[in-house]
Amino acid sequence: MIGAPPPPGSQRYDRGLEGLVAGETAISDIDGELGRLFFRGYPIGELAAARTFEEVSHLVLFGDLPEPPRLREWTAELVRWRQPPRAAFDALSSVPIHAHPLAQYRTMLTVAACHIPEAESSALDAQWRRPARILSWAAALAAAAIRHLDGLPDLPPRLDLGYSANFLYQTLGRVPPDAEVRAFDASLIVQAEHGLHAAALAALAVISTGADLGSAVLAGMGALSGVRHGGANQLAFEMLSALDAPSAARAWARRALAEGRRFPGFGHRVYKCPDPRVAVLEPHARAVLAAHGMSDRWETYLALRDEVETGLAAKRIHANVDSITGLLYHPIGLPPSAFPIPFCLAIQTGWMAHCLEYLPDGAMLAPGVVYVRGGAGD
Amino acid sequence: MADSPIHTLGHAFDWSADRVDWPVTTDVGPGLTGVIAGETRVMWLDPSSGRLAYRGVAIEDLAGAPDFEETAFLLITGAAAGDELRRFERFRETLRSSRQLPPPVLDLVDGLGPAVHPTRALRAGVSALGCHELAVDDDLAGEQHWRELRIVGQVASLVGAIIDCRRRRSRRSPDPASSLTGSVVDALAGRPSTADERALLDLLWVLYAAHGLDTPTFASMVVASCLADPYYTVVAGLSALRGARQGGAGERVLSSLLALEDAGAAERWVQQTIDAGGTIPGFGHPSYRMPDPRVVVLRKTAAAHAGRLGRTRLFEVARAVEEEATRQLAPRGVFVNINLYGALLFHLLGAEPAEVPCLVAAARVAGIVALVEESLDTVRLYRPLSRYVGPPPRPVPRRGTS
Repeated sequence: MIGAPPPPGSQRYDRGLEGLVAGETAISDIDGELGRLFFRGYPIGELAAARTFEEVSHLVLFGDLPEPPRLREWTAELVRWRQPPRAAFDALSSVPIHAHPLAQYRTMLTVAACHIPEAESSALDAQWRRPARILSWAAALAAAAIRHLDGLPDLPPRLDLGYSANFLYQTLGRVPPDAEVRAFDASLIVQAEHGLHAAALAALAVISTGADLGSAVLAGMGALSGVRHGGANQLAFEMLSALDAPSAARAWARRALAEGRRFPGFGHRVYKCPDPRVAVLEPHARAVLAAHGMSDRWETYLALRDEVETGLAAKRIHANVDSITGLLYHPIGLPPSAFPIPFCLAIQTGWMAHCLEYLPDGAMLAPGVVYVRGGAGD
Repeated sequence: MADSPIHTLGHAFDWSADRVDWPVTTDVGPGLTGVIAGETRVMWLDPSSGRLAYRGVAIEDLAGAPDFEETAFLLITGAAAGDELRRFERFRETLRSSRQLPPPVLDLVDGLGPAVHPTRALRAGVSALGCHELAVDDDLAGEQHWRELRIVGQVASLVGAIIDCRRRRSRRSPDPASSLTGSVVDALAGRPSTADERALLDLLWVLYAAHGLDTPTFASMVVASCLADPYYTVVAGLSALRGARQGGAGERVLSSLLALEDAGAAERWVQQTIDAGGTIPGFGHPSYRMPDPRVVVLRKTAAAHAGRLGRTRLFEVARAVEEEATRQLAPRGVFVNINLYGALLFHLLGAEPAEVPCLVAAARVAGIVALVEESLDTVRLYRPLSRYVGPPPRPVPRRGTS
């Protein structure tokens, strides 16, 4: 949101603001009936096939695929911020090793934010320069948080690598094969923006108070940490991991369907059709799993997806992006508890884009609550 | 509620009802004004009459007697402490004992140094605390309640620690017999506080504890709707409270007041600021088109307390700002809000301008916890729509030709 406020008049909506048109945006177009997703008019499949995360983040944030000179500037800006303040890394020694890596990463980011000059202007022209710092600091800190899970020290960045390759290098201590970097980059691209989902709304609420972009991103991260949101890719993978063969997956899914269970990684408020991000990432996941001799896991996934989608066809429930990203991140070498982190790295691009779009004339977000009379207690 | 459109803008609707029948049809204005984002039994903020009540108790009645701990109990549980003494004792025990913070968290906050803005330090501290409270494989079900309670005490404790750190004082262990406000006032005063001072911080925290679905609370509700843990929820609220239009306003109020020499200077400053198209901190509120009811209580208290401390001039400056700005702004529907005298009173307790936002935050956490807690059974993920007005579908050009 939301360059412009919603049209004047009344609207009908449900709990959770479902159905409410909160405003206008030029960032992404989600077609939940046909299963299409466009960033600034470009189909995500084409973007993932032909462009890098650097280019797509520029597109999402600023509205255009950068020409070579602008791309060089943007890339240089991203590289310039690959070394967050040392104190942010040191914060890891203040938190227990068994804490969730996303919470550790959050803590590092809150410490890093203390090193942004307080007097920094919150004026619009200044805010425009901030996203590169957040994107790159976040990647370095996230990598350190993941390494911390294994008690490993953080690694200095490689300035010669692209965003994805450097993040994977700083996380794994090695640069994965090109196909895996491309697959990972594709996962960042398709998850770089997704309209006014809960995390973007939280970020907007924060920026609308006059706070800075870093504060907005921290709020978005909070929403994303929830099991109904970004934490779902970890749960989806864990569900799949417990199943050791396609036949077991089918049998388990049928039982779970009969019990009316919910399936993490399936169903979406907006998509009543196959999630277009799944279609982009599935070929990558299949290839990367095959390269690691994990094709059985791919087959198990297909069986589970088929069984659940068939069983829930009447409810128009399909696999969403959370069911597939784990199948990429696992063979690349990320631990399941770290799966929400790449999602977070990617989608903060969209949060910041919404904030920048909102800032010029956005009013403070101030919906209300209705006081339900009758009984002070519960 | 009827099925016909509810006119939530223009003060025809007082934001209370016997029940809400979803889906609803309401006015929708800029900044989502008029939108009903949920139901609550915690508080009522009636924008047309200016009434504010916690659990049905008018704010004017709360301002006298109950302390902050009792008010937090009322907000969170819906019960009066006097009616459920044993339950309240347990509640208070949890609040107070949670103030014992892990030393590494205090090290982290100390390590940030006194130059870092206190709200940033507080946010980092809350985040680190979350790492200590919750392990990666924790299942939050059932544990949610006490954890959210603990965070109220933890935030108060962190605020005291941050103030001590800014004054370069050594770390103190919270006294279990001391109330939540008591140890914070001690830190502000730099000595054991008086009963008057403790009662004053209690009053401030009671009045600041909850205020409808203000933007920080809304940010927290959105995060909580994703079933995030309370530490993420509060980090989001603190991030919004940092904003200049929110808790940051108290800081601007105090900085402005302290720079003004006397009532005459105050009047000239108000005039110049308005002439230059600026805003007067401590004025204006999206919910009110009338004076904030909390102001009445705080103005009286500020006058009395400033008199006792021999700081009458500062009160006169605030009063002059209020009168001049009201004269100029009231015709436009902009009125004084809680921050004018609120910030002044925090200062009389020893707070520097930069410390005001986190003192507000410590109080507000109680309201955030109360609203989040009651919503957990019914809340749905917040996910509105937006209308796409960007470029039509187009093919991705080859590199260098875009």
